[in-house]
Amino acid sequence: MHQVLRLINRNLTVSLNPGFLIWQIIFPLIYIFVAGFAYTALIPDVTLQGQSLEYPAYLATGMIGFNIMNSTLISGLIIWNDRRHGMFEQILSGPYTIMHYILANVCTISIIGAVSAGLIAAVGIPVFFEAVVFSPLTIPIMVFAIITGSILFGSLATIISARLKSSEGFNVVINTTFIFFAFVSTVFYPAQGAPAVLATVFYFNPLTYVVDTIRAGIFGNITEIIMVEMLALSLLAVGLFVLAARMMTRLNH
Amino acid sequence: MKCITASSLSKSYGEVVAVDNIELDVERGIAFGFLGPNGAGKSTTIKMLTTLTRPTHGALEILGIDALRNPLQVRHRIGAVLQQPSYEPTLSVEKSLTKYGMMWNVPADESRRRARYLMDDFDLYDLRKKRNEDLSIGQRRRVQVAREFMHDMDLLFLDEPTAGLDPAARRNLLDYLREKVDGGLTVFYTTHILSEADYLCDRIAILQKGRILVCDTPETLKEDMGHTKTITVRTDSDSTTVTKAIAGMQGCTVESGVEAHIIIRTAEPERTLADALINLHRNDIQMLEISAESTTLEEIFLETVKDASGTASD
Repeated sequence: MHQVLRLINRNLTVSLNPGFLIWQIIFPLIYIFVAGFAYTALIPDVTLQGQSLEYPAYLATGMIGFNIMNSTLISGLIIWNDRRHGMFEQILSGPYTIMHYILANVCTISIIGAVSAGLIAAVGIPVFFEAVVFSPLTIPIMVFAIITGSILFGSLATIISARLKSSEGFNVVINTTFIFFAFVSTVFYPAQGAPAVLATVFYFNPLTYVVDTIRAGIFGNITEIIMVEMLALSLLAVGLFVLAARMMTRLNH
Repeated sequence: MKCITASSLSKSYGEVVAVDNIELDVERGIAFGFLGPNGAGKSTTIKMLTTLTRPTHGALEILGIDALRNPLQVRHRIGAVLQQPSYEPTLSVEKSLTKYGMMWNVPADESRRRARYLMDDFDLYDLRKKRNEDLSIGQRRRVQVAREFMHDMDLLFLDEPTAGLDPAARRNLLDYLREKVDGGLTVFYTTHILSEADYLCDRIAILQKGRILVCDTPETLKEDMGHTKTITVRTDSDSTTVTKAIAGMQGCTVESGVEAHIIIRTAEPERTLADALINLHRNDIQMLEISAESTTLEEIFLETVKDASGTASD
């Protein structure tokens, strides 16, 4: 078995526990079925590229992207735990390079992200099924969003965990960052209609690109703006991955 | 055949020189002890030898492989028990061992078989279902050392592996390592407990301030540096009388107790002892007991490190 696959196997074993998995499903479900239907009184429907959607359908598709971001917390936790419990150096004194380690982490979060997204899509499908527009691009675009989103947020979590030594510091910074990403994005509400400054900030947020891309795949409205968002997402993911790799390499010396 | 060849190996962190131009030649199939006081550069040296950190300059060959050019190739053939405890907190002891085997590409059946043997050898069987985070420091250390034997290797680095172990577990580990060395494994071993090095190691290097001061077999070190013997003479008189009697004699000190003891530490113990006895006789001091101790590795270590500190401060 290749080194990266062995490390993925190890990462999944040490990081997944029933509590985490249940939370990964329960948390978005509360949003979709409680907040989604409760807010219907306030937001009866949302217009997306000319297409009218019920709010629960809009929120359920947003939660897929949100869950991808949430699952990348795992990456930060793996690195932070490995450093704290001596496994980082132990692994690197074995038949592994720092690139094996980083790639394995990215793959681990991509797998967890994909499974989480799949589960949310599966349980959320009743609320957005009617609006789904299947095309040959639906699946590739979803896969693209999951992989680039995982790389991007996984790299970000890696950078944070490489910089911070205390668990309190790590938790505060990562939770604050992710809450900011979640609420200053198009996960819960569309940019149209928001105050101009806020709407502009939405589009400096990579989670907006991930969520918009997923919605474009599901509802079949791939516009030029979506293409630009996909490009920005790719560039940001590559940039942050390179930065994370450099920081991890420095940790190694 | 050489297992480790290091020449002019150095590591600096900014202005601080942690390891300063060390030369190392370690033969295959021996236990090599690497001793030194805290901060001498032992762990930095181990990190360079295990390719975890790159030397600032120098050349390094491990098992015939250029370790600076092909670190990964080296890592496939070595094992390392680092000074820092390392464990997966949520895994059980048994799972830790089998997962570690998997990480070294050991087939699952073989991994389970080795884990079973190692749990017996390291007295971990009763703890096999316990999670690492619930173990004591010593138990965790045993798991850490046992885990390294899940894979095959030609060279094993152990950086203070007995830290936190009780005397029985320590002796058990040393005997286990000796058995492996006799079977052909090369062991590179650092410790502060010099009796361990004396018990296990075929060759010993003493490091201070990043430099190797001496490197030889324990026996040769004792022969070459053990010329200073310690002779204790117990007398029936008080310390003032005894001190007067041996006043001016080099290498003799008096320790007071109920009766005074003369401690003779000199390169010419027989001659000094004879002179001391003559002086005691002249002063009517009775000798009650006399004992001589052979030089221990600990005395050699302390003397070497003290001499080097003196030289450095000069």
